[in-house]
Amino acid sequence: MKTVESKKPQIVLFQCQYCLASSMDQAWVENDLPANVKLIKVPCSGRIDPLYILNAVQGGADGIMVCGCDPHKCHYKEGNLHARRALSEFRNFLDMLGYPSDRFVFHWMGINEHSLIQPLLSDFENKLMNADLEKHLDTRQVDQEYF
Amino acid sequence: MENPRIQKIRAEAQKLLIEEKVDVVIGFKKGSLPSKMQPFFASSVEEIEQLELNGLCSNNLAVYLNHRSKGERVAIICRGCESRAIQTLVLENRHARENLTLIGIPCIGILDIHKIEQKLQGSISSITEEEGQVVVVSGGREHRFDRLDLLHDACLHCEHPTPVNVDIMIDEAGWIPENSFDKSYCQAFRLLNIAQRYEKFSHETERCIRCYACREACPMCYCEECFVDHSRPQWIESTVEQAGQQAWHIIRAFHQTGRCVSCGACERACPLEIKMTYLTDLLNQDMERDYGFEVGMLPDQLPPFATLSETEEQFFHQQDGDHVH
Repeated sequence: MKTVESKKPQIVLFQCQYCLASSMDQAWVENDLPANVKLIKVPCSGRIDPLYILNAVQGGADGIMVCGCDPHKCHYKEGNLHARRALSEFRNFLDMLGYPSDRFVFHWMGINEHSLIQPLLSDFENKLMNADLEKHLDTRQVDQEYF
Repeated sequence: MENPRIQKIRAEAQKLLIEEKVDVVIGFKKGSLPSKMQPFFASSVEEIEQLELNGLCSNNLAVYLNHRSKGERVAIICRGCESRAIQTLVLENRHARENLTLIGIPCIGILDIHKIEQKLQGSISSITEEEGQVVVVSGGREHRFDRLDLLHDACLHCEHPTPVNVDIMIDEAGWIPENSFDKSYCQAFRLLNIAQRYEKFSHETERCIRCYACREACPMCYCEECFVDHSRPQWIESTVEQAGQQAWHIIRAFHQTGRCVSCGACERACPLEIKMTYLTDLLNQDMERDYGFEVGMLPDQLPPFATLSETEEQFFHQQDGDHVH
């Protein structure tokens, strides 16, 4: 039996550990995320392999959000720029094969932007609530405990 | 009667071996079946007579460069796709260009053996080719076919059949004119709606038995350990489940972005006749549109995912819902 909570769209948030400049935002993401959002914290957005995204898609994620740093603000010089090239093409590719590109968003954060992650997440959630969440590539049998 | 093309290839290969410019010449020789040719490594002058080349040579010889040490002086008989694959492998430091001697042949195309088998009942006892025609002897009877009807799809979609950046070019006309074919079948795929695209993709992948013959046939798949063989952590389903089949084809294709030379060796190696070059062709089309990059055409241009440009701060793939500072 499903609870009301589980009807909310399931979101996987990939977050670069340096992109949330404000420690309050970081604390909120780490401690107070809603139950339908799963956090995958990575050292740099360049570390996000397309395999991780595909794992989330096949595991039943309704939405995917990737947060990274602004250009030239990368802790590792250019990891975010490589991530932009590869992951934005991966988004196109998934769209070609059945995972709509509007369910996969990027947020490139500036160093002076505060308190943005909460409204962005809730906007994304609202958008997904109204969208047709047909699951084409969601084919993996996952443990119910995954989310 | 031997055709002049193979005579010229043998003469060039012989010259290289006699002058001791190379240690080995990689080409093809006759296989055990009349419809198959097999890769051949000639390291002495006596072996040169076995070299053959025809439309049944379905492998991409660039694969064997990955199994050779970098210091070995290798000559490869290469068609258009093979020369582009070698160029990409050299860019990725798989072999030193100064140790390679490329013998280029304007491409004569590769026949699709499945297309021949579909047209005939019995087993094939011989296949001979003339320009424009293929003569197949099967069940004691001779059948003639138009060569274009039997060409492999990858060759029908080929944009650059003439080898690039080779050392020796065999002076014979190719049977496939440059830029004569197009990739409009990719556009047809893009015009489908998302459910139809998934339908086509899953219809192809559901036959996959995960034998990885496509990986072994591909010159660009040279990882020491493939992501599907990882067991800790295990990234994707390793069984013949839909999830595993789809994940394999998605990530395999994505690893080829800006690297696949569209030779179609993966499709020819596939025992279940799964179509998969459309995936890499779609990705390569995107690379050409976004970065003006064509695989293997220039000796110093890195694949788009391995390099950055000066205008990189623009996020020109921005879509509705993305946040850019």
